[in-house]
Amino acid sequence: MNVIEIKNLTKYYGKSRGIIDVSFDVKQGEIFGFIGPNGAGKSTTIRTLLALIYPTGGSATIFGKDCIKYAPEIMKDIGYLPSEVFYYDGMKVIDLLKYSASFYKKDCSKRIKELSEAMDLYLTKKIDDLSFGNKKKVGIVQGLLHEPKLIILDEPTSGLDPLMQQKFFELLEEENKKGATILLSSHVLSEVQRLCNRVAIIKEGRIIKLETMSALKEENFKRFKIDTAEDIPKNYFQLAGVNDLQIKGKTHSFLFKGNINEITQKLSGIKIANLWVDEPDLEEIFMHYYSKEG
Amino acid sequence: MNIYRQELRAYRKFTIIWTVSLVGLVLLYLSMYSAIAKDADSFIKLLEGYPKEVREAFGMHLESIASLLGFYSFTFTMSTLFGAIQAMILGTGIVSKEVRERTADFLMTKPVSRVRIVTEKLLAAISTIVFTNVIFLIAASIMANVVKTRDFDGGVFLLMTLTLFFVQLMFLAIGLVISVILPRIKSVLPISLAVVFGFFAIAAFGNTSGEEPMRYLTPLKYFDTAYIMKNGRYETPFVVTGIVLVGVAVAVSYFVYRKKNIHAV
Repeated sequence: MNVIEIKNLTKYYGKSRGIIDVSFDVKQGEIFGFIGPNGAGKSTTIRTLLALIYPTGGSATIFGKDCIKYAPEIMKDIGYLPSEVFYYDGMKVIDLLKYSASFYKKDCSKRIKELSEAMDLYLTKKIDDLSFGNKKKVGIVQGLLHEPKLIILDEPTSGLDPLMQQKFFELLEEENKKGATILLSSHVLSEVQRLCNRVAIIKEGRIIKLETMSALKEENFKRFKIDTAEDIPKNYFQLAGVNDLQIKGKTHSFLFKGNINEITQKLSGIKIANLWVDEPDLEEIFMHYYSKEG
Repeated sequence: MNIYRQELRAYRKFTIIWTVSLVGLVLLYLSMYSAIAKDADSFIKLLEGYPKEVREAFGMHLESIASLLGFYSFTFTMSTLFGAIQAMILGTGIVSKEVRERTADFLMTKPVSRVRIVTEKLLAAISTIVFTNVIFLIAASIMANVVKTRDFDGGVFLLMTLTLFFVQLMFLAIGLVISVILPRIKSVLPISLAVVFGFFAIAAFGNTSGEEPMRYLTPLKYFDTAYIMKNGRYETPFVVTGIVLVGVAVAVSYFVYRKKNIHAV
């Protein structure tokens, strides 16, 4: 069964593009990743699903109901965490959570306690005094306190320290095991890889790829940066799978997709002064890889 | 009614400050009355020294200003002006603040319709205005009875005082519709002051030019205290205009807000 069905969803802001002809489905019980560089249309899609903005064309259903027409009803079972959280001035954490809970016709006090303990959140502090990461925690608890059947997250991990990020992911996986469907937008490939079963990739307002995670995992990109101790030939790293090779003096940097062993073999043949291997963010991959597919 | 309660809480300080100011103003004015009543003749002479245009712009009527109701009606121009500003700030801010303070994503992804959001916020705004007016009426009545030199018509006093509420309702509606139609309001105060003082300028100009149709342009002139004093009632055409104004503004607000895009900031 599909929890979300999006058909040819289009949104223009005046003449500027939001999203064009976006279509995909999210199945029940799935953790679905929605990835793309900043400004590609992830938030536009999500905000349309939540009836915060109105589509120019196309339609979307959640739980089989039109997401615009039946928005208030659908929202009972949705938990939403925006990328940046802001709350009312002068409220304590507990007041905000209680206000949030008051919109759902059930007792959420036990959940509030459990979640805030899991996330290490002080309930009696004023929200204004909280750090960005702690505000985010309020957002997480707020989004999950009514045990939503569908959890929608827009760039959820920005501002969370790695430990909290880990806890948060565990929390999401737990909710998922209990039956919640999750739609997660991100521009960080690794967090999508870590959680999701399936992904949609959006670029310049259009969906350019819809894939299972296992297929995407084969596209394992690494960003290499090497300071060599001695001069090496300029084409030393010119292998199949190497993209965006840049050479500045003794520094070689490139994006690699393929069997890592090929690179390590190459590395063993030269004297290295320093070496960095990074997970490239998705934007980079888009720039150097998907730009060819247009 | 959780949004309603939340808004009442959010506007508690604002309402108390404005109520105290309005009450303080009317008490101050009325406390001056005993001195003026004692020396009515020289006070009127003093006012005669002002050009007629200035007197009329400020609603001073020489023939009645020495009576309690006449003096009250003169001071009431200021009360309605302040009251209009309070209502305008309230109307412009109460719905638009969700976007300005970036809390819209929180509120509008809850299982509530936009209609319910506007309704509860509007009810909360009206409640705070009712509160202000009740306190104002009580304080003004007590003070009027303290400073009176002879009995005055309580009915007319009530009719006059109630116009504060009606003027505030109109400015609340005007503020609401402006805030919903404009794509984004960065700051409530300048818009509110500009609109109220704009209407005040039209009112003052209308007073001096003496043209009746001009009065329809500014809600500040829908209730003429001189007319109320003379006839003991409101002028029907203006009451109807006021009701239509509020009705249209509120209806348009609902209509526009239902389809408004709520952008991320």
